[in-house]
Amino acid sequence: MFDLLPHLLNGLTLGLLFALIALGFMLIVGLMEQINLAHGSLFALGAYVAMQLTGPRPPLPADLAKAWLTLPLGWRYAATLVIAPVIVSLVGMLIELCMRRTYGKDPLYGLLLTFGAAMVIEELIRLVWGTRDYVLQVPSAINGGFLFGDLIWSTYRFYAAGIAAGIIGLVWLLIEKTSFGATVKAGAHDSEIVRALGINLSRLRLLVFVFGTMLAAIAGIIVAPIWGIRPHMGVDAVIPAFLVIVLGGVGSFWGAVVAGLLVGLCVGLAGAYASEWSLLSMYILLVAVVTFRARGLWGKKSVLEA
Amino acid sequence: MIVGANSSSDAARLVTPTMLVLWLVLATVPLWITRVGLYPYLGIEILIWSLYALAFNLVLGTAGLPSFGHGAYFGIGAYAFGLCQLDIVANLWICLAAAAVVAGLAGVLVALFISHRRGIYYAFMTIAFGQIFWTLAIKSHRITGGEDGLLKIKRLPADFGLVSFDLTDNVAFYYFVLAVFAVGTAVLWRLVHSPYGRVVAAIRQSEVRAAHLGYNVWLYKASVFALSAAVSGFAGGLFAMAQLAAFPDVMSLHQSGYVVMMTLVGGGLVSFWGPVIGVFLFLTARDVIGALTNAWMLYFGLLFIAIVLFRPEGIAGALSAAVQQHSLNALRRRGSSAMRLLVGGGR
Repeated sequence: MFDLLPHLLNGLTLGLLFALIALGFMLIVGLMEQINLAHGSLFALGAYVAMQLTGPRPPLPADLAKAWLTLPLGWRYAATLVIAPVIVSLVGMLIELCMRRTYGKDPLYGLLLTFGAAMVIEELIRLVWGTRDYVLQVPSAINGGFLFGDLIWSTYRFYAAGIAAGIIGLVWLLIEKTSFGATVKAGAHDSEIVRALGINLSRLRLLVFVFGTMLAAIAGIIVAPIWGIRPHMGVDAVIPAFLVIVLGGVGSFWGAVVAGLLVGLCVGLAGAYASEWSLLSMYILLVAVVTFRARGLWGKKSVLEA
Repeated sequence: MIVGANSSSDAARLVTPTMLVLWLVLATVPLWITRVGLYPYLGIEILIWSLYALAFNLVLGTAGLPSFGHGAYFGIGAYAFGLCQLDIVANLWICLAAAAVVAGLAGVLVALFISHRRGIYYAFMTIAFGQIFWTLAIKSHRITGGEDGLLKIKRLPADFGLVSFDLTDNVAFYYFVLAVFAVGTAVLWRLVHSPYGRVVAAIRQSEVRAAHLGYNVWLYKASVFALSAAVSGFAGGLFAMAQLAAFPDVMSLHQSGYVVMMTLVGGGLVSFWGPVIGVFLFLTARDVIGALTNAWMLYFGLLFIAIVLFRPEGIAGALSAAVQQHSLNALRRRGSSAMRLLVGGGR
């Protein structure tokens, strides 16, 4: 039992990260009933932008760059955690503006549009940064490892898991406990009534999409030091994201969180005993669950099935 | 011609005029393809991918089922062809049959799980199964060669008993693939326009209505998926011959996305021949734009976005609209000249 503990802990950390990756994806699916296949590319873009900002050559005018570089890494990292998602959210905004033409049509069109967007973003990343791998610098305070019960643990993983849990909590508060969240949920439930109440639904949808994009970018920055930064990371992220959503059930917040943890545990444990097949385990988990529960663990009926 | 292809008199035919013209044009390709700066191998690739895209469109266009992991069956066909040739028997017909049968069986297996699902859940499940097969192909080093792929596949001679054709030359192989393509298109055309195809199309319009009419929707959905997988696998077998190898690459999510793109850009939703147009455009664009810039996918991606936004019915749809517009204009012109004759005839 005791040798299982590290793997369980590892799986839980991984699970929180999966839940974080899926969070923005889930918001857009749950509140707009749109599948954003560009989620992974926005995730990757967040990591690349953050890498560029914290790296030795920030894209700034010479004087400003000098002043920026004199700041300690910890400050730069903290600032980047806010600035990079804002920059990436502009791309998300562009996608949402294009996507407006597909609202009210078959959800397949939104899915295909975002597939195209994902491809374009990925090619742009290749064009700007090439195909080589990059490393995101993190402050020394969260770098390194420590000894705990005969094992060396990575500090960063714990930091990442903590941040993920924090962001998940904040998003839950935002959706469930604020009037903004209530309006957004009402808009998803009955757009006619919300419009009749004089609420600008297009702006609301833009906000939701931008917020989802920012979450994708943040997830990218948090996960980058663990996975590394490379053009392929977008696909590596979007697949677990959709898996977590389907497993948890479309439209269920806690479903997605639980599913994220479940996938993390599954991959973590499979990785410990059959590392070659750890990726396969999550698909098998999905097929097993969806075969018996058509809408995932806590899914609701939605237009996405039509 | 695209309008003609949809007319009811053609639907009953085994070979339509469009088909004949297409085959004849394709038969002349090796005579001029090198003169326009391309190469015979591109022609082979276009034919194989066209067959694959037509099979895929059986599911997407005819049945309206969003299958986003279809590369798996193409890849399984390629591996089945290779493994049959290397380990069982080096006979072209048996190997091609193995490609279709194994991919078809994989299709049946997946169809058992997904045919109760609809919409996005269906799409997600096909992606999940596509990923399972892709992971299996990459991780089963001993059987599939892992990332390196299955090498040393040969182009077996096409043995007809009395005569046997050597297919190692690209032009000879092109004509072989063209013959297969011709048979394949005729069969698929008949299938789509058969009573079976009409029921499948009815399911696309409304599953509920089809079920109320007494059709076993599940069985039709499962069978059309398995059929499509089998033909995709057959095309995959040809592809293994063309490449002289089988790689896991074609099974990835990206490549599965490409066949969706080709089909939609061409106009698979509105036209039987749409996927062929899309494949031709995609592969020539890859070679022509790809020779000029490294980022050709960027431009193709932008084109794809524009098509989804402004012409969801694809190039075939735009063409048929243009043809209809043209004939409408011609009609108007004729009408106005007739008016002129009537009114100004005396002068």
